[in-house]
Amino acid sequence: MEKTIIVTNNILTMQKLKSKHKIDFVEGTLLDVLIKVRDYIHKNHKLLTHPLMGSIKPNQTPFKSVAISLKAQDNIDVESLMYIEKSIETAESLIKSKPPRKWPENVLEDFRVIDFDLIYNALNR
Amino acid sequence: MRLELGKIYIKDVQFGPQTKVENGVLYINKEELLKEVGGDERLKSIDVELAHPGEEVRIIPVKDVIEPRVKVEGPGGIFPGFISKVDTVGSGRTHVLKGTAVVTTGKIVGFQEGIIDMSGEGAKYTPFSKTHNIVMICEPVDNLPQHEHEEAVRMVGLKAAAYLGKAGKDVTPDEIKVYETLPLLQQVAQYPNLPKVIYVYMLQSQGLLHDTYVYGVDAKKIIPTFIYPTEVFDGAIISGNCVSACDKNPTYVHMNNPIIEDLYERHGKDINFLGCVITNENVYLADKERSSNYTAKLVEFLGADAVIISEEGFGNPDADLVMNCYKIEEKGIKTVLVTDEYAGRDGSSQSLADSTPKADAVVTAGNANEIIVLPPMKKVIGHPEAADVIAGGFAGSLRPDGSIEAEIQVITGATSEVGFGYLSAKTY
Repeated sequence: MEKTIIVTNNILTMQKLKSKHKIDFVEGTLLDVLIKVRDYIHKNHKLLTHPLMGSIKPNQTPFKSVAISLKAQDNIDVESLMYIEKSIETAESLIKSKPPRKWPENVLEDFRVIDFDLIYNALNR
Repeated sequence: MRLELGKIYIKDVQFGPQTKVENGVLYINKEELLKEVGGDERLKSIDVELAHPGEEVRIIPVKDVIEPRVKVEGPGGIFPGFISKVDTVGSGRTHVLKGTAVVTTGKIVGFQEGIIDMSGEGAKYTPFSKTHNIVMICEPVDNLPQHEHEEAVRMVGLKAAAYLGKAGKDVTPDEIKVYETLPLLQQVAQYPNLPKVIYVYMLQSQGLLHDTYVYGVDAKKIIPTFIYPTEVFDGAIISGNCVSACDKNPTYVHMNNPIIEDLYERHGKDINFLGCVITNENVYLADKERSSNYTAKLVEFLGADAVIISEEGFGNPDADLVMNCYKIEEKGIKTVLVTDEYAGRDGSSQSLADSTPKADAVVTAGNANEIIVLPPMKKVIGHPEAADVIAGGFAGSLRPDGSIEAEIQVITGATSEVGFGYLSAKTY
């Protein structure tokens, strides 16, 4: 698997994938991760995984990991931009509709495991 | 491929000394059933309870729902790749214990959802309030990893459904329905003047708790391929999908896929139903490109004039749905999409996370953010603490009288994206 940049706020993803990928760890919310991804796309990086992976809603899980190309391209990738903009719009809409709650640590750990598994499977298929 | 589906209508389910069907009643020898599904060292205990329509019972958290079936004639057995060998199924005769369902509960993750209320307001939203449910309650050993837990509970459900299905093997069905799809060239020749329709059947395939299996193969690893619709009726597609209760397709829904049923209903009348193309919903964008390219190529090759596409899930799969729609329409083939919506509590927000102007014929199965109040129930089967998680959760809140105000997304099957439900629209 090619080396990518993984933007994540999930410590499990960082720990498990840091030896093979460049990790940009975000100390913040799911939305902060998506916005950081958008910054990369504006700097001509290409989106590699869908920002809304998983059926767990963005106002439910606090964690998100997104893979983007290690190298910037010559031009902005419009498709990547469309995906991240629509994903941010959807996430904002659901978070506004019902803000995330505070989860107990065991549930947070489940969210971390699933987020990690989805990105791991996406990159090691 | 021709399949006779023999429906045995079951009007009651009871425990008894012998597992059998007699006069429309399914009797279950509890010890024998538990022995049949037991033996997995990953599960500390397995218990079984019954839940009947109209009872003040809540089942929570529901993992999967499976219909008891048995192969009576023809090659292979039910649930190929899991319970039976991988012989091609979908022909001969299969018996169904209609009106019953195996329901598995297991708290695989701490936020697990999935409610089936057997009475009250919530019962109106789930098709599984109308079935006599054989509920398998599974407890894992300590510290069992989530994916092992999911697999163990999945197998208990399949084993239980296969075991109970056998009780119908020698019973004369109340109704026999025949489904037949011919090899492609013969099928096209059979109704040369009718429009040829393919069903593009999208399978959830993103990873842990988001997986589907075809003849035992993880669907994220397939490239889109053809499947005879009757293969699906014999359990060739199995759900390992445990999140998003309202719009995941439980195994029962795959086995009874109403889009396939409806297409067969009109087969030879106003359409020529050629069969199904199964495809996946992966996370990696290049996988999406490959799968949607392949799907469009395949439906063109099969000669479709029109295509029905259903998706499973939220967010990421919307991208696959839109890619499939766009690429198939680009080939001059009409599409109709089936989905549900996350349109906010008032229903006014954007429904999907992706769109295309070519998606000009879309059927919605409902808005998952809609609010419902679930009354307290006398009995809870499964893990009552899961109700507290939902009650205090992102999609619900507990009221002083013990009722739960929740979004309908917590109810199993409420907004089924193949339309296996009761929601409909009325114009006033």
